[in-house]
Amino acid sequence: MRALTAAAVGLAAALALVLTATALGAPQGRTSPKPLLTTVPKHP
Amino acid sequence: MPRTPPTQRPAPPKGMRRPASLALLACAVFFTALSPLMRWYAFPRLAKIPPGQYQDMVLEATPATLIDYGTMKAEQVPKVTIVQTLKGNVAEARRIEQTAGRDVVVWDTLSYVAGPDGKMVSEIPERYIFDAHSQEPVHATGEMVDGDPVRRAGIEYKWPFLTEKRDYTYFDAQTRTSAPIHYKGTRTFHGLEVYYFEQTIPWTKVPLPKKMPVKGITPQAVEKTGTTRWYTTTRMFWVDPVTGAPVNGEEIHKEELRGGQLLPGGGTVTAFAGHVRMRDDYVKSTVALVSSQRTLVLLLTSYLPWGFLTLGAALLALSLLLEARGRRPRKAPESETVQAEGVVSGGT
Repeated sequence: MRALTAAAVGLAAALALVLTATALGAPQGRTSPKPLLTTVPKHP
Repeated sequence: MPRTPPTQRPAPPKGMRRPASLALLACAVFFTALSPLMRWYAFPRLAKIPPGQYQDMVLEATPATLIDYGTMKAEQVPKVTIVQTLKGNVAEARRIEQTAGRDVVVWDTLSYVAGPDGKMVSEIPERYIFDAHSQEPVHATGEMVDGDPVRRAGIEYKWPFLTEKRDYTYFDAQTRTSAPIHYKGTRTFHGLEVYYFEQTIPWTKVPLPKKMPVKGITPQAVEKTGTTRWYTTTRMFWVDPVTGAPVNGEEIHKEELRGGQLLPGGGTVTAFAGHVRMRDDYVKSTVALVSSQRTLVLLLTSYLPWGFLTLGAALLALSLLLEARGRRPRKAPESETVQAEGVVSGGT
């Protein structure tokens, strides 16, 4: 019974971590202020 | 007097009882469960193209054939440069996401073609809208090529994460249509294992660019003369299969103006022809960028899932071992037993 509880705790923690990480997601960021280029850049 | 049996611990209760074993078991289950969750739940949701990405690319055709609009004749020039810029429009992505109900990326791009003197030959803006995770096209107001509304099918510029060894549908901006791009095998490029794709667009009548290189000449004016623009290309991509990002691209590109009053007698003139290749410094920077992104994707798809699975198995083994040792009946030390027996026998 104790082993089952320990396994359930481990599983619940894994689910909670993954669900939280995916719910937070990556930051949106913002549009770059750089223009669309109409000249040839010298380097990348 | 009855003999006292050797000192023995009472039989352990059924099930795990040691707190350390239980803690290790919980950790083992945690890491083992995390492995498939990371690969098949978290990765598809976390891996996405950032909506605010900005990237530029320089391609060159050396030498190239270019039309001289003054004489309407083709001439050989030392170099034609194509500058491609791609800018993620975050505000538009958010607006479209509200109706699309999924993560969306909006790329505003410009393909600016410069002649040997740096002057504009043509410039084609595009708006490409797609799903940030799967790369599937998303159709919304504003999707266009050179101001013409389009409805894309397939991919453009980039392949999906974990690219497969199969043909994809690739959108051709000049013809505004999609056609298969064929997987032609695996190659090694700058130390990376990449998939090579190739697509040939046969001679097709295409619209004139909205911005013409000669002042005062508009596409409408050219169309009125009856002259038409035709185009064929063979495009090649070397794609990193992990990120889906091309690390190299080439194009054997030909454009012609045909017939009409500008070219009487059904004449044909090459407007542009050349083998377009990525500039060396851009190849190197692209390979470096893709290599770093590739590590991140591999972390979610391979390194962490396999690492967690191994760690989970090791912790489970350790937990069972600890529990087994705790359950083994422990005999009292030899000297203690002998001494006890002596006392008993001496007493009789």
